[in-house]
Formats: sequence, structure tokens, C-alpha cells
Amino acid sequence: MNILEISDLTVRFGGLTAVNAVSLDVSEKQIVSVIGPNGAGKTTLFNAITGLHEPTAGRICFNGTEACRPFGLATAMMLILIGLIAALSALLVVNVEPLWDTAITANYVYQQPFSWVKAARAASHYFAEQPGRRFIVPFLIGALTGLAGAYAIWSRTRRAPEVAARAGIARTFQNIRLFNQMTALDNVLLGMDSRLHTRFWHAALRLSLYWREREESRQQAMEILRFVNLLEDAHQLAENLSYGHQRRLEIARALAMQPRLLLLDEPAAGMNPAEAQDLMKLIHDIRNRGITVLLIEHHMPVVMGISDRIAVLDHGEKIAEGSPNEVRGDPRVIEAYLGKEHGDIPTA
Amino acid sequence: MATQRRILFHWLFLLVAALIPVVELALPGRLHFGDLLRPIFIMAMLGLGLNILTGFTGLLNLGVAAFMAVGAYSYAILTCDIYPFRLGFWPATLVTVLVGLTVGLLLGLPTIRLRGDYLAIVTLGFGEIVEDVLKNLDSITKGTQGINPLPSPSVFGYRFRPETYQPWYYLFLGILALLVLLNRNLHRSRIGRAWISIREDELASSCMGINPMKMKLLAFALGAAQCSLAGALWASYLGSSGEPGNYDFQVSIIAVCIVIVGGMGNVGGVLLGALVIMGFNSIVLETVTNFLKAHQLISSSNVFTSPGNWKYMLYGLALILMMRFRPEGLLPSKQLKAELHPPEPNVPPPAS
Repeated sequence: MNILEISDLTVRFGGLTAVNAVSLDVSEKQIVSVIGPNGAGKTTLFNAITGLHEPTAGRICFNGTEACRPFGLATAMMLILIGLIAALSALLVVNVEPLWDTAITANYVYQQPFSWVKAARAASHYFAEQPGRRFIVPFLIGALTGLAGAYAIWSRTRRAPEVAARAGIARTFQNIRLFNQMTALDNVLLGMDSRLHTRFWHAALRLSLYWREREESRQQAMEILRFVNLLEDAHQLAENLSYGHQRRLEIARALAMQPRLLLLDEPAAGMNPAEAQDLMKLIHDIRNRGITVLLIEHHMPVVMGISDRIAVLDHGEKIAEGSPNEVRGDPRVIEAYLGKEHGDIPTA
Repeated sequence: MATQRRILFHWLFLLVAALIPVVELALPGRLHFGDLLRPIFIMAMLGLGLNILTGFTGLLNLGVAAFMAVGAYSYAILTCDIYPFRLGFWPATLVTVLVGLTVGLLLGLPTIRLRGDYLAIVTLGFGEIVEDVLKNLDSITKGTQGINPLPSPSVFGYRFRPETYQPWYYLFLGILALLVLLNRNLHRSRIGRAWISIREDELASSCMGINPMKMKLLAFALGAAQCSLAGALWASYLGSSGEPGNYDFQVSIIAVCIVIVGGMGNVGGVLLGALVIMGFNSIVLETVTNFLKAHQLISSSNVFTSPGNWKYMLYGLALILMMRFRPEGLLPSKQLKAELHPPEPNVPPPAS
């Protein structure tokens, strides 16, 4: 079964087409690598999958559906509520002072009891007597601005990274993006965040759920740190870890999300051969836990050693796809990496 | 255990703070130290509110005075007997906090996608707008006179009097202690962790499934609610809403100074910052001025010789020195300290 289906994905930045009509299927519990020269569009592909870039065209289906917020009843209610708040604010801004005068000041005698019914009646009288421009116009303008603004923001953040993350896609970054001033443990706990149930009041009042979940999540985080072999660095700040450890911590943080698909963006960059060997073993172990891995890598021994399938990108287009052996012998791949020989112009 | 020692230290601190007015009675002379601490408590609350926004979440807000003004004015309108509401102290405070929460949300909703300098400018503008609205909404806010007199609060049947400061002192201390507890609890929970992750790297944090908009809105609402609580207590302490000019840009800047000098993102640091900045203002400068006056070293006709007039110069100097020698604040959170003072790289021991 395909866990990720990318069909005819195009991502354009102004005039630059970073990814051009790329289709890629990733089956469950496989390790699939994306390779290609620098600037081929690999990271843009990742960013589109994780919701950082909006696709210009094409579809990205994860688990059979596109990872974006559905337009449900709750969304509609929220939009209407925001529109209503904006409308009432606009109405108040225009009318607040005369309204206060007629409803409150006129009805209140110093230190005498005050009748709210009378005040409400005066207020409704006030609105009944007003011409439309003081009542309907600000209300409409407020409602429209509120609705349109809320809808614009909502639709722009439909395909936000957190939506993809909550659907089960985790990723690491090419240039490591850990939370440097948090400990390794806290980094992993943050990755776990979307699975926690503690709410504001639990945390504020330290109800029993807070303590229970704190203990459980710490244990799980320690378990994950042991899996990537960082247990003794748990209480170190992330920025004080060595480069290789930071890479592994980033993987640990992604694993804490319990993803179904893990995107690794050049995890072996800057590693020596021994570290790369360890990494290969780690990626294997991750796959054996039932997590599908999509990998960008330049380190060919790693790519050829662990991939089930390889896709090759060049200038934003997919030029080859297949098993490591098929890709290795593909003339177009060799051409993309090494260039063409002079005089060897293909006769089409 | 380090944690146990820390908890003991907190209780000790609270005990000392609670004993100050009692000890003062026993001492000879007329010390007003406890009396002077009241505005410090209120500024500490303001600092705590700002700390949620700026210290934890990394949203620079230059308009917290506006939240304070909203709090002070709604408390004044709800309690003053020239208006029909005439609520008691606790209900009025509760409603004020809710009003502050709403105002924070209303400011947060449209500005939530702004970052850094842009947000700072918007909040700066918000502060100015609120001040101007309060000045010009004459029939509700009484313009530049402010709303007064407010009745003294009565708590659990006890009516406060302006002459005796001790009950006020304990009321403010108690509320401040509760706020500190709330902030600390949030800081050490998943909510604080999410806020800090947004400060560190918003993109990475959203890729971990955190909804940055939600968390920022929560920070806005909570910060504004705390600031408006500070405003409400300030109004009850003054017995007046104060005039709109009392909540100008200078107050926001002092709040920012409190957070920076104390140590961003650290609750204890904010308390220390309030003590240092406000204490310098109301205790040190006051004492020096009185001393100089008593010995006739300065005359009130010469504006240059009065230490109070050098206040902002001295704040500026203090900030510059802080930034040069201790940029993480007096009592930094351990994260920021690590950021600003990277540890020496580990040198392997020489092989023997």
C-alpha cells in the first residue's frame, strides 16, 4: 500500500520552477531515497510534503488524503464568531459614546438604584432611531472585514506544517534546527507534544493528570533517547552536543512524534564513515519499527546501502526511479551527476 | 536535593517578605520600606505579564502599559459610584481580568502573524491608541481627570483604609505569590515548553505539530490578563484610575527594563528586576534626595541637581552596562545564559 502519493507536483517561486511535475509513490515500510545534484529541488519537495510550501499544482496524498485542515462546522462557526466580534467592535467604535450617554448616564442618579431593564430599553430605542449609516454600515463593514480576514488567514494556513505533523509526517532539517537552548530531553518532549493531553488548567493547577503525564512522557522520551544512543546527554543543552549527536537528537525528536512517515534531509551530511555506518543502522532500525523513511542524501554508500527504491531529481524534474542497481546504471543519472561528453549529442 | 533547597529558598523568601511590615513596626523611627514595596509588587505583576509574551514566547511587546490602562479603567468604571455598576473588589477584579483577556485576544488575532520588529511597532501603536482613546472618550473615562474617587476595597468583610498600608501590602503580596506560582507552573509544563520552542525556532516547532498561532494567542491573552490585573490593583491602590498620561510609553519601557534587567524568561528574575528598577526609583533616589535636601546640598530651584531628574539617564546607563557585562540579566534562565555565554569547548585531558 502506498503511504505517500505525489502526483504531478509543481512548486514555483515567481519565475523559478523548483519542482516540476514530479510524481512519486512511496510504499509503506520502505526506505526511499531522493538524490540529485545541488539545487535539484529535493528540499523543496520535502517542504511541500510537510506543508511549508503550498504546491503550485499537483496533489500530495498522505495516507489517501491531502494533509490540510478540513472545512468543517467548527471552522465555519469560528469564522462567523470572528466576523461577529469584528462587527460588534465596529458598531461600538462608531456608537459607544452616545450609547453610553443615553443608556447609562441619563438613567443613573448618583448612588440611586439602577434599572438595567430601562437601560436596555433606552439602548434599543437609540439604535431604532439611528439612521442606517450609524448602525448597518459599520456592522456590515466590520462583519465583512472580520470574515474576510479570518478566512484569508485560515485558507493560507490550511496546509500548515503542524497539520502535516499531526497527520503523521515527521522531518529533520538539512541545516539542523534543534531548539538550542533546551535540553536534549526537552527537545524530545517537544516532539511528543501533540500526543499529550495536559491542558492549560491541568498545567496551571498541577492536577493529577499533569504529574502522571509528566512521568510517562519523561520515561518515553528517555526510551527514545536510548534508542538513538543519546541517553547520557539527556540533560545537556542541545547546542552543546557534538554535530553527529545533534543529528541523532533531531531524529529522536522526530521519532517522538510517533510518525508514520519520516523525512530525513541529508542526515549523513558532515559525518565521517564510521558515523555514517551507525546512521545506516539507525535508519534500518527505524524502518523495522514500521516507519516509512524518505531520505535525501548525497552520501552514496549510505544511499545505495539502505534504499529500497531511489528517485533521482535534476532541475526540478524526476529523471529516474528504481532500485539502487537500476538507478546506478541509468545513463541519464550519470549524465546529471557527471555531465555529458563532448560530441556525444544524442540523436533524437 | 537541589530542588528541595530551592523550594525552601522560595518559602524563606516569602516569609521574609511577609515579615517586613511587622519588623518595621518594631524598629525605631518611621521607615516606610513596606509601604514603598507596594508599587514594586504591582510593577512585578506587569513584568510577569510581559515576561510571558517577551521572555517565554519571544514576542516583543512595547505596549503593555495599554493593557495596564485597560485594567485600571475597567476596574475604576466597575467600582466607582458615579457609574451604576458599583461592584465589590473581587468581582470587579475578576471582570477586569476577563476584559484584559479579551483585549489581549483582540489585539492578538490580527497581529499574530507579525514577528519581531513589526510586532513591536504594532504594539507600540496600540499603546498610543489606547492612551488617546482614554483621553478623548470623555463621557466614559472623564478625559484627563481620570475616574475618582474609587471606594477602598473590602476583602472578606474587612474594609481597607488608605492610612494603614499593611493590609494592602499583604493583599498585593498574596496575589503576586499566586501569579508567580501560576507562571512557574506554566513555564514548567508543556505550554511553557511550546512557548519557548516558538521563541527558539517557530518553523521547527510548527513542524513538530505545535500550532504557533494558538500558543501565541494564549500568550497574548494571559499576558494581557496579568497586566490588566496589575492595572486594577494599581487603580485600587491609588483610589483613582489615574489619568491616561500615567500609562504612557515610559511605563511600557520600564516594564521591558524590568524583564531585561531581571533576566528574560525567568520568573524569579522578573521579581528581582522589579525590585532593582523600581526600588532604585522609589527607595534609593528618594533617600538620596531627602539626604541631600536635609544637608542643603541641593536647592529645589535648580533642576539639574535633583537626583530624581536624572532617573532616565541612570536607567539608560544601567541598561548599557547590563548589555555590556551581563546581557542575560541578573537572574537569567539557564537557557538564555547558555545562549549568551557559550561554554568553553571541552579540552581533552593530555595523555599521560
